[in-house]
Amino acid sequence: MTAVENEKSTVTVTLNGVEIEANPGELLIDAAERHGTYIPRFCYHSRMKSVGMCRMCLVEVDSGRGPALQPSCMIPVGEGMTVDTESEATKKAQDGVLEFLLINHPLDCPVCDKGGECPLQDQTVAFGPGESRFVEEKRHYEKPIPISDTVYLDRERCILCDRCTRFADDVAGDTLIHFMDRGNSTQVNTFPDEPFASYFSGNTVQICPVGALTAKPYRFKARPWDLEETISTAWIDSVGSRVTIQSSRNQVLRLLGVDADSVNWGWLSDKERFGFEALNSEDRLTAPMVRVDGRLEATGWAPALAAATDALRDVDPARIGVIGGARLTNESQYAWTKLAKGVLGTDNVDAQLGDGLPVEAVLGLPRATINQACTPGRTVILVGPDPKEDLGALFLRLRHAVVNDGTTLIELTPTRTGLSTIAAHSLHPKPGEVDLLAAALVDAVSGDAHDAAGVPANAIAAAAASISGPVTVVLGRASVAESAAVTVDAAIALSQLEGVGFLSALRRGNVHGALDMGMAPGLLPGRVPLRAGCDAFDQVPTEVGMDTIAMLEAAASGDLDVLVLLGSDPLSDVPDADLAERGLAGAGTVIAVEMLPNASTLTHADLVLPAAAPTEVDGTFTNLEGRVSVAEQKVTPPGTARADWMIAAELALRLGADLGVESPESIRAEIAVVSPVHAKLTETALADGRVEGVLISGSSIEAPTASGSTTPANDAYSLRLVAARRMYDNGTMLQASASSAGLAASVKVTLNPTDFEKLGLDAGTVVKVISGRGELMAPLAADFGVPAGSAMIPTNAPGSNVNTLIDASASVTDVRVERA
Amino acid sequence: MSYFTAENLETAHEIISRYPRKKSALIPLLHLAQEQEGWVTDNAMRQIAELADTTPAEVKGTGSFYEMFKFHPVGAYMINVCTNLACQLLGGEELLAHAEESLGIKAGGTTADGMFTIEDVECIAACTEAPCLQVNYRYKLRLTADDLDQLIDDIRNGRATDIPEHGTLGLVRQHIPAGAGAGIVAPEQATERPVWLARNDAAAEGREG
Amino acid sequence: MADGSYLKGFGVTFKKLFEDRVTGDYRGGKGLEKGKPDEKRPKADRLHGRHVLNRYEDGMEKCIGCELCAGVCPAKCIYVRGADNNPEAPTSPGERFGYVYEINYLRCIHCDLCVEACPTQAITESKLFEFSFTNRSDAIYTKNELLVGDDGKPQQLPWEDWRDGEDTMTSGWMRATSPAGDHRYEGVVHWAGELGYGLRDPETGQSAEANDDEGARPAASSVEHG
Repeated sequence: MTAVENEKSTVTVTLNGVEIEANPGELLIDAAERHGTYIPRFCYHSRMKSVGMCRMCLVEVDSGRGPALQPSCMIPVGEGMTVDTESEATKKAQDGVLEFLLINHPLDCPVCDKGGECPLQDQTVAFGPGESRFVEEKRHYEKPIPISDTVYLDRERCILCDRCTRFADDVAGDTLIHFMDRGNSTQVNTFPDEPFASYFSGNTVQICPVGALTAKPYRFKARPWDLEETISTAWIDSVGSRVTIQSSRNQVLRLLGVDADSVNWGWLSDKERFGFEALNSEDRLTAPMVRVDGRLEATGWAPALAAATDALRDVDPARIGVIGGARLTNESQYAWTKLAKGVLGTDNVDAQLGDGLPVEAVLGLPRATINQACTPGRTVILVGPDPKEDLGALFLRLRHAVVNDGTTLIELTPTRTGLSTIAAHSLHPKPGEVDLLAAALVDAVSGDAHDAAGVPANAIAAAAASISGPVTVVLGRASVAESAAVTVDAAIALSQLEGVGFLSALRRGNVHGALDMGMAPGLLPGRVPLRAGCDAFDQVPTEVGMDTIAMLEAAASGDLDVLVLLGSDPLSDVPDADLAERGLAGAGTVIAVEMLPNASTLTHADLVLPAAAPTEVDGTFTNLEGRVSVAEQKVTPPGTARADWMIAAELALRLGADLGVESPESIRAEIAVVSPVHAKLTETALADGRVEGVLISGSSIEAPTASGSTTPANDAYSLRLVAARRMYDNGTMLQASASSAGLAASVKVTLNPTDFEKLGLDAGTVVKVISGRGELMAPLAADFGVPAGSAMIPTNAPGSNVNTLIDASASVTDVRVERA
Repeated sequence: MSYFTAENLETAHEIISRYPRKKSALIPLLHLAQEQEGWVTDNAMRQIAELADTTPAEVKGTGSFYEMFKFHPVGAYMINVCTNLACQLLGGEELLAHAEESLGIKAGGTTADGMFTIEDVECIAACTEAPCLQVNYRYKLRLTADDLDQLIDDIRNGRATDIPEHGTLGLVRQHIPAGAGAGIVAPEQATERPVWLARNDAAAEGREG
Repeated sequence: MADGSYLKGFGVTFKKLFEDRVTGDYRGGKGLEKGKPDEKRPKADRLHGRHVLNRYEDGMEKCIGCELCAGVCPAKCIYVRGADNNPEAPTSPGERFGYVYEINYLRCIHCDLCVEACPTQAITESKLFEFSFTNRSDAIYTKNELLVGDDGKPQQLPWEDWRDGEDTMTSGWMRATSPAGDHRYEGVVHWAGELGYGLRDPETGQSAEANDDEGARPAASSVEHG
């Protein structure tokens, strides 16, 4: 090879007579598409491995040995390759392949949900023969069979492209569907009585190139030509997955993943995909409600706002609290912060419900992006919840990085997670001692391996030895039964690693936007502390206010006159049910701003203001990286529900202050002025980042300081509680989604089987779990993924809520398990 | 849940230990399951999935590609009558018809006592000995109708000792001691040439020398 | 107007009162003037009137709710929504049926593209156009009005002026191209040979072949109505 060739970083290919430059190793089908030549395909998907199943992408390739038909999704470009995608041979091959694919295809397009947006239809028209010579009977199967609670499979329509099965196996890791039988009988199917119960099953519907897989929530709802669409952001979790929201007749009917390279790669979790059903729910609040004689009764906006204003006027700011706000758009969050901190003068604002992390741990540490975490050759340390349960799209990205790109994953989690099977090292510390383990890991990196948190020194040393390249720590609360201080201390320990970056795993929709907009005690918009002040605010509280737990405690002792629930359900979500109940009961006036009524609203709100849903407002969301992306209004709110920022502005007006906000755009403009880190968030930047979003970086928040807290040893009779979130729970939004409501598994206590013998109990036995705070009844389950000595109970599960066992002021929760 | 007998479970673990990836053991494990009960039950596939670190769907998907795995109960003796060209010319179809008549079942069916299943199969590669059939994959060649009746009678009365019940591949199971394995490593972990190649080289040298 | 020319206008109106009506002897079925005939003018065979939604002989609805009619409609006057058939008591054959079917006759231009688009020949047009409404919502025909009866005959709604024999030829259906993509049928205009109430004979120059099958169908005139 000559020096000149060595310098050349591209490969020259002649495509239909024109020389193009392709990247070395790039597949021919991709190179051609980048240069404007679309090669038809069914099985090829740019985010999955090629298999060459469908043969649709056959093109005539001459690599020096004469032209031959080759599948362009299987061959990388080669120097001097000549490709003809329009030759007679290619056309004949395309004709033939399509004729074959259509032999067993039922052509029931008029009743098929895919009809009108079907690659098989489109490519048959574009590249097909136009007629079939096949007159024999087609193969027949039972028409759609439900392979999961949300997905139907019509095997007659299937062209065996292997996309869904590849997705299930390679991308999601849930090999629950597979090709069965062979020859003419080959079909995709599940194992009998083991449904395709994957958190990601909806993606197979989206990538199916025919109508073989259809989604129950969209089944027969509309045809593609009915739909209007806009690119927006998923609101269910904090990954900020980019989605296309499709609606017809003012009703959102479907969400599709958008391939944003920096975020979700086109994938969505089913919760993100089908969560829109809650917004169409009949339970949506459509009018303000006021409690009269203990019952909530519908009223108009004027009396409701007047009542809210009366409650808020002339109250000592220290006696006002705002809990929640993670549901809101950045713009609404800013408006509410301005109302609470700038008008009312209270710093008692917290978007998290005692189940998250202090601001310093999120904004005060060096941050990493998803793409940085997933860069080949790097290391990811998971100190937090199971991404598979909490942050579906992030799980898929991490999984891909670990399986395909050689990213090293080290887990420091109290139990096994969805990533454990592929993790290089899964270290399970005793609950509440992950800080000790993290410190030990850092020690081991510098050569001093020792036992910590119940994990042996050699395992820690092995994990430390496997660390390569810059480290990204995925940081969150693995269990709400242990205090946040433990996680923070672990983060502080890990921040000593070289080149470390932190990826927050706080899960609530726009919780990172809420922090950026100052919805936390001691914080102002723009990631600045209170003392930095804010010119746009009339006043700024001088004292750092209370967080959710402190607010509830204050309320419980009668020290809070007004409590605003901004899209929050403390009864279900605060990891201390007793405190939440006492707090809500003790608060003077409880004002709830909600889309859907939740447990707290129904029992304690004195005033309910109906809010618009994410698909009903314009605005922006901020994801866990700090990436701001657009959420666009697609439909109108039901009844008289209003955008949250309008409610804030209206309340301010009635209190004699003008927030000076007129539209989401005007608020955004103000944010860009107020917040130095948001200065680059111009309308142009947002338009340019329509798909990828705009990454906001920088922060004036200081790094957290070690709490120095120590976790007490538990006695021999108790088990240490792990309260972890599951993707499907009793959450208000989820329960309002028709197709997801039934997916939440009822509560159970999972123990390591070795603990069964100690307790003299068996799996399936209903037991009483007793803590210092309360007790609950649940059946036992066995799982080696839960370390001996721990008891895992999912949060907010149907049946009973584990937060009845937890004391928010304790660092860990010990429970006794007894036969009921 | 558990399906394998204690003895077979031990064999299963031995089989799995031969492969660098557990999943590679699927086919021999399916054979083992079929040997135990004559066909592959759902429970068997569930346990295989557990043993091989995969899902039952993948086990069934892999197994159902192969005709010799039966996923529904079959007779203890599976009679595969060839009706492909050579056999057909020499009376294969008549032989099949005779078998159907004498056992009172159609091809694909199983006798009520669970003894026999007849299958109409394509060429079983014994054309020179047509018409031929297999009983549990043991060849019976150049059969007449009387031969067939005799064969069925022999099986019924326990005289066909050369034919094990359906599912058993060999009358003797080979156990490969851990040290005598082929020493296979996963491709991504391979650092040197496969052991068996080295062994072949050594053997070749021995021959030359 | 000061020159009193408006009187000329009144004059025209007054004179017209005594002239013959352009509508001939049509009196909308009301028989306003006793003893006088009330007749409709004969209409062309292929006149496009208000639609009917057909059924199969067993009473099942032909409409599968595919929305192709709504998709093709240039006036956007059709609103269709599909739903799952109840397998125990299906409304139409197959998985899907037309759950909502509405045509807004204030918008419909009777172009018949819906009839051409329909893959099951569920929607066809009758020749009736004598109907009127006194409010907008009445102008939206729903499935209740559009569906033919069990006998395959269109419903004769109270506000429509049907005369004897006018309900025939409701299931005539034509399309300009063959749906099967068979090149022999390209450009050949067809009359449907399907079962239904009233069939039209092919016109001169049109193929007499039934539907897309090559077998000849009986002449329409020999098929009994009903």
